[in-house]
Amino acid sequence: MTGGLQRLASTVVLVGFSFLLTALILWISGYGVGDVFSGTIQGAITATGAATSTVRWAIPLLLIGLGVVIGFRAGFFNIGGQGQFYMGACAALVVALGWREGPATLVILCGTAAAIIAGLSWSLLPGYLRVRFGTDEVLTTLMMNFIGALVLQYLTAGPMRNPSGTGQTAASERIPEAFRITDSSGVSATVLLLVGAVAVLVWLLLERTRFGLTMTLVGRNPTMARWQGIDVRRVGLVTFGLSGALAGLAGAVELHGPGARLVTGFSPEVGFTAVVVALVGLLSVWGTVVAAIFFGGLQSAILFLPIVTDLPPPALVLLHGMVAFLVTVKLRAVRRRRTGSASEAVTS
Amino acid sequence: MEQILATTFRSAAPLVLVATAGVFAFRAGIFHLGLEGLMITGAFTTVAVAETTGSVTLGILAAIGVCMALSALYWWVIGPLGANVIIAGLGLTSIGLGGTAFALGAIYDRRGSLFTDVVLPRPLSGITSGPGVIVSEHSILVWLTPLIVLAAWIVLRRSRFGLRLAAVGEYPFAARTAGVSPSIMRLQALLIAGALCALGGAELSVGALHNFTENMTNGRGFIAFVAVIFGAWHPIGAALAGLFFGLADAIGIQSQINITERVPREFVLMIPFVLTVVAVWLGGLWRRRSLEAEAGYAELKEPDF
Repeated sequence: MTGGLQRLASTVVLVGFSFLLTALILWISGYGVGDVFSGTIQGAITATGAATSTVRWAIPLLLIGLGVVIGFRAGFFNIGGQGQFYMGACAALVVALGWREGPATLVILCGTAAAIIAGLSWSLLPGYLRVRFGTDEVLTTLMMNFIGALVLQYLTAGPMRNPSGTGQTAASERIPEAFRITDSSGVSATVLLLVGAVAVLVWLLLERTRFGLTMTLVGRNPTMARWQGIDVRRVGLVTFGLSGALAGLAGAVELHGPGARLVTGFSPEVGFTAVVVALVGLLSVWGTVVAAIFFGGLQSAILFLPIVTDLPPPALVLLHGMVAFLVTVKLRAVRRRRTGSASEAVTS
Repeated sequence: MEQILATTFRSAAPLVLVATAGVFAFRAGIFHLGLEGLMITGAFTTVAVAETTGSVTLGILAAIGVCMALSALYWWVIGPLGANVIIAGLGLTSIGLGGTAFALGAIYDRRGSLFTDVVLPRPLSGITSGPGVIVSEHSILVWLTPLIVLAAWIVLRRSRFGLRLAAVGEYPFAARTAGVSPSIMRLQALLIAGALCALGGAELSVGALHNFTENMTNGRGFIAFVAVIFGAWHPIGAALAGLFFGLADAIGIQSQINITERVPREFVLMIPFVLTVVAVWLGGLWRRRSLEAEAGYAELKEPDF
């Protein structure tokens, strides 16, 4: 438990330090630091609609972030959340637009199922290559992101394009209003229940089931796990599959919720931010929930900032970057450096 | 046809420069996902300094300086401070993208883009007849790019530095035993990579265009990283991969114009990524030591955070 507390303290210190650094940069650039923080808080919580917007942006981060947590538990680095998210959204879009006359509930269920399957298959391929051939999953999931983004671009600019659309970026046609589970705010009881249920299920899986323990064992020491008779490949595949399924689900929620249509390259950062969310959440389910709300608040503040203060949104992208840049720093290493007691010969 | 070739070289040059940067990092065992951030920082610094001083040389030198400083910070965070290479790299990218867009607002009080008349010379701009279009519109940096790639290859293959770097990337523990500090070698490789990213960014902003635009790199840093893997982390291979991406881009633009083309441009653009997945897979299948830099990467990629 002390270990957990130490990690929590170290994360809080590092995130706080990132904030301080960003504040320093803003202060040098001539912005009032007080304005920045009050602007961020207004944009994330107090302004009209800001709290809803925070939750709206936290939802995809949470779903994809939980997938990342599952992957990390078994020792896999899934940075393909973006592609899996896009594929999920695309699959749901194809179902919703292909079956406009269908009964709403059935279409939504089918679309969600299709999204889960699409996200799952988008992560199973890198997963299979990893467990069967040892192919590095960081590279393959990164590639799958690009392919997923191009599939989305193809659908929104090609077969699903809204011919009357006038924007610079191509967008798909809107799905019928009946197929939506929220209004454009992106928050409704259905969505909150769904996301809450998913979080509880993931927590149960990881902390209260035999399979969750098996995954943790595989992540800690795959060799030992194999010697204990665990089918490491099967565990790896299931882990990858679950991870992608959650990202695919996030895509479906995005389409049937706030989106209602897909735009080329929408939410371009969400996949990578979700990895940061999972790390800031210390790879635990409830930590990820807190981190997702925190980063959802930042995202919401980015959108609200032009309205409430004169601070440009890129300042918060910068802040995002600072947090990601520093959050995995091992404070232990900093202290060791200072006292100079440990030899450099062994870094692990 | 001429137009396709011209576009290919113009799109490929910044990719090739940044991919060469990626090769240096990869040889040192670092999966450098901060290339995008360094590239955009280079593009912005070049334009800002060139516009202020009126000298494009000063602009590029400043960009190299800033990118090397950021690279040193990146090294400090992933090396001595033990941060995760991939997450910190992605963070560096966000810092670059957010920082440049923010600086644009803070310094010039504007959003969007910054124009400049101070651009790189185009040595053959006089030739405009017939196939001359292939060579006329390229900046001096495009012409220097093959030389830079060749120089990188010689340094990596023939110099003491290059061989030590390979040793550090392949097996840092042995390198350390032989008296080579992996940490210092990584710093040097990252500094070189930073300088090359600055050049890639400069070519993008003052070579091919006359301006800096927010998010103008548009994922090119990541594509350059893919080119490194696709090119088997060899400077020439990465350069050819970069050229291939440039060609895919050029064909993509053409097929967008030419409606009769039956293959959607997205599928053309997809080919390199699919091929890279296959290449990474086959590489691992055929050779046990698929990633030469695996050990070095393993040293930095610690599973527990």
